[in-house]
Amino acid sequence: MTGSDRLATRVMTLVNGLRTANRWIALLCGMVLVGAVALIIVEVLGRQFPALHLGGADELSGYIMAAIATWGFSYALVERAHVRIDLVHARLPVGGRAVMDVIAMASVLLVAVLVASYAYDVLAKSVARGSRSNTPLGIPLWMPQIIWFGGWVWLTLTSALLLAATVILSLLRRWDMVEQIASIPVETGEVQ
Amino acid sequence: QDLPETTLSVVGSWSSLPLYQKFERVFWEETVPAASGGKITVNMTTFNQMGVSGGDVFRMLGDGVFEVGMTVGDYTVADAPELEGLDVPLLATDADSARKMVAAAKPMVADIMRDRFNAHMLAIAPYPPQVVFCNAEIASLDDLGGKKIRGSGRMTTLFLEALGAEGITMAFSEVPGALERGVIDCAVTGAGSGYSSGWFESSTHLVNLPLGGWDPVITAVNLDAWNAMDPAVQAFLTEQVKTGFEDPAWDDAAGALARDIACLTGSGECAAGAAASMTLVELSDADKARAVEVLEQKILPDWAERAGGDWAERWNASVGAALGVSIAN
Amino acid sequence: MIWYVSIGLAVLLALSVPVGAALFILGFGLDAFFSPMPLMRGLGQMVYSSSDSFLLIAIPLFVLLGEILVRAGIAERTYATLDTWFSWLPGGLVHANIGTATMFSATSGSSVATAATVATVAMPQARKQGYDQRLFAGAIAAGGALGILLPPSINLIVYGFLTQTSVPQLFMAGIVPGLLMALGFMIITAILCTIKPEWGGPSRSFTWAERMAGLPHLIPVLLVFAIIIGSIYTGWATPTEAAAIGVVMALGIAAFYGAVTWTNMRAALLGTIRTTSMVMFVIVGAYFLNFALGATGLNRALSGFLEGLGLGPYGMLLMIVLMYILLGFFIETLALMIATIPIVVPIVIGLGFDKVWFGILLIVLIEMALITPPVGLNLYVVQGARKEGRLSDVMLGAIPFVFVMLVMVGLLIAFPSTALLFAPA
Ligand code: NA
Ligand code: NA
Repeated sequence: MTGSDRLATRVMTLVNGLRTANRWIALLCGMVLVGAVALIIVEVLGRQFPALHLGGADELSGYIMAAIATWGFSYALVERAHVRIDLVHARLPVGGRAVMDVIAMASVLLVAVLVASYAYDVLAKSVARGSRSNTPLGIPLWMPQIIWFGGWVWLTLTSALLLAATVILSLLRRWDMVEQIASIPVETGEVQ
Repeated sequence: QDLPETTLSVVGSWSSLPLYQKFERVFWEETVPAASGGKITVNMTTFNQMGVSGGDVFRMLGDGVFEVGMTVGDYTVADAPELEGLDVPLLATDADSARKMVAAAKPMVADIMRDRFNAHMLAIAPYPPQVVFCNAEIASLDDLGGKKIRGSGRMTTLFLEALGAEGITMAFSEVPGALERGVIDCAVTGAGSGYSSGWFESSTHLVNLPLGGWDPVITAVNLDAWNAMDPAVQAFLTEQVKTGFEDPAWDDAAGALARDIACLTGSGECAAGAAASMTLVELSDADKARAVEVLEQKILPDWAERAGGDWAERWNASVGAALGVSIAN
Repeated sequence: MIWYVSIGLAVLLALSVPVGAALFILGFGLDAFFSPMPLMRGLGQMVYSSSDSFLLIAIPLFVLLGEILVRAGIAERTYATLDTWFSWLPGGLVHANIGTATMFSATSGSSVATAATVATVAMPQARKQGYDQRLFAGAIAAGGALGILLPPSINLIVYGFLTQTSVPQLFMAGIVPGLLMALGFMIITAILCTIKPEWGGPSRSFTWAERMAGLPHLIPVLLVFAIIIGSIYTGWATPTEAAAIGVVMALGIAAFYGAVTWTNMRAALLGTIRTTSMVMFVIVGAYFLNFALGATGLNRALSGFLEGLGLGPYGMLLMIVLMYILLGFFIETLALMIATIPIVVPIVIGLGFDKVWFGILLIVLIEMALITPPVGLNLYVVQGARKEGRLSDVMLGAIPFVFVMLVMVGLLIAFPSTALLFAPA
């Protein structure tokens, strides 16, 4: 095993760890979504059977939506599920494809860094003002917002690590690995 | 007049409603440039045209995304619960008393805008009163008990719950279908909006009572931008916004309600189109007294607790004194 | 500025930057070069307010519903049954493709998911029975497109969200045009395969006993559809609530078929989060871009320009339709919808057209974009499931169905009641 092989293997181990972590996060998001289903069903039943009436399912579901979509961005990224147009990409040699993959990954990092930093301001303002939702429930807004903000921070971290991995593997000319972690997947019919 | 050249980014309220079309747009796009001799130029849009939620306008204004912003005070109470006191349902039943209520509340609103949103309050103008459209027989306040009512704003919802009604949250566009199919019995909105959205087709009774308050729209300037302005520009805007925007908007408010009711009930000339034939319900003095009692005993004390500080005393001394209402301790 | 946006978008997409990120970056650029306001300071607020939504949570719920049904083997059973009912027609199995896509559309909110599902169960049959694959694959790509016209529909939810239109009304309005289009797909298949039998495959006959035996397998899908639509139509539930009810029903059906296993549920949940996040990334990006377009006044300038042409309502409508057909060749559909709706819909309403009706017309145009090259996601998905041949085969096979969609556009414009007949106020 050469030094570059060892480096490539180490990078792939890191990426695989990142994938596993994101899969668990996505699974957790899925279970929270199932929780939202239960909440909404209780609300629907509560209209017929007032004993079950809780109220606020709509508001809580909104927070859940913000949380699962945002935390899922990283999962979609490691699964290469974000929509990319491969008109040019597919016609390039491996090296050219890798350059585009680096650009794509860097663009996600750019967006994540910027949104995360401005998301922090939103959260900080809600904390500073003690903002509460404009509903009878009056939920302190920092609660849903800190989860949402965390999702963008996690995307920053995930995309930064993936970008570093893509750059290193490209420099090592390990095109097969670049393809595995950052390329546009060939549609398999499983992609939804 | 010799003003320094100034450019302002202005974000108005709902672009589909008369307040923007007849007053905000005219004032900022025509009156201000003309009266300043072309020295002040304005780039105007509205929050809904930018896709900004009405509750985010003052947050963005405070951050300096734009210089001048307008939105319904009630939309922003998540960040400033004390602002709920600006628009208490049912207290002001006509445009004159609404104007008195808002005038009395102005010093409080100015403080709130400064402390919460880093903004300088310029003006407060009314939307038409938020009345009740019902697809059910309604004759008195008691009849609202047990009904499912689409309200807006926390205080209105709490008031409905105090009456024994159920407050339902629902998008504006879903209301006519929901009224028709009996998912809700009543819904609260401005009489004019209800007419132009055809709510009369799916409801029978129009309760002429501002159950949703007046949804006053606050116009404010980012405080840093305001402080950086030449005093001559500050004076110019302060004076013009009153004579060119606030006063005409209020003068129109009383007539607007009468016009909209004529269109909804067929009780008079309707210039906007064919008149509908809803039954107009005017509540008795006993009902009004009961509403005030519920407000004084339950709704306002709850609000005083949410707002904290000395807001209850300030409210009693200003709005309360003007309207003869007092928050129980 | 308009050139900056168009060329910038083209370059970013050509560089294969993820669509959502491309929209964000265009917005950042508008802020840096054109906007009088410091828009970045509103970035966090815009992103938060666009993701915190009770209406949009219907998207993951409908995706989850479809995921569970797929893992319960509903698509295979439906396909086998419709094979026995439709394969005597000229074109054979191609009709079963369309029928299965139509059935599955009634429970799926996404065209791409519908096409992927049908392609996975159908393409092996094409190989086994020696079909000419062009029309066969084209029918799946086009049939799958019905996923967003027949309710439930993610794209209709997004349209309702952006234009303040009643989603129940939009759902009801999609039913008749969706079914008419499915019928149109079958008619054109039959006509083409009568003229050129080699384009289809063998017509096969089944006994009535065989046909009846399969019918019970159609019940679950029809039941889910009926409950979703019925509960929305009667006002018993909002679209989001109906989606939650659908998820519970799908779980019941999966349990009935013995498919509620940890592996299946895990896969369904992961697939749901993946799809939802992919869709939401585009939605929040487009939302920020719209904010930037609004602040720079570009959207008002554009509508001013269009209104200034003085074309009259139908001339203008024609312009808009042509614009969507043209943009639909190149732009990913969700991004296309979100970026254009805030500009186009106010104009259309100003011309006196109905908001619900235009939503349906727009969806048909979006479906066309899904099956026209070079950027047509349904074409890609079906080609992916074929694992052989060239993408151009699928593109060719989809052409007759594009023609049917054009007819549908004409029909909707000539007879708006096609869409509005069953849409309650
Ligand atoms: Na569908
Ligand atoms: Na296309």
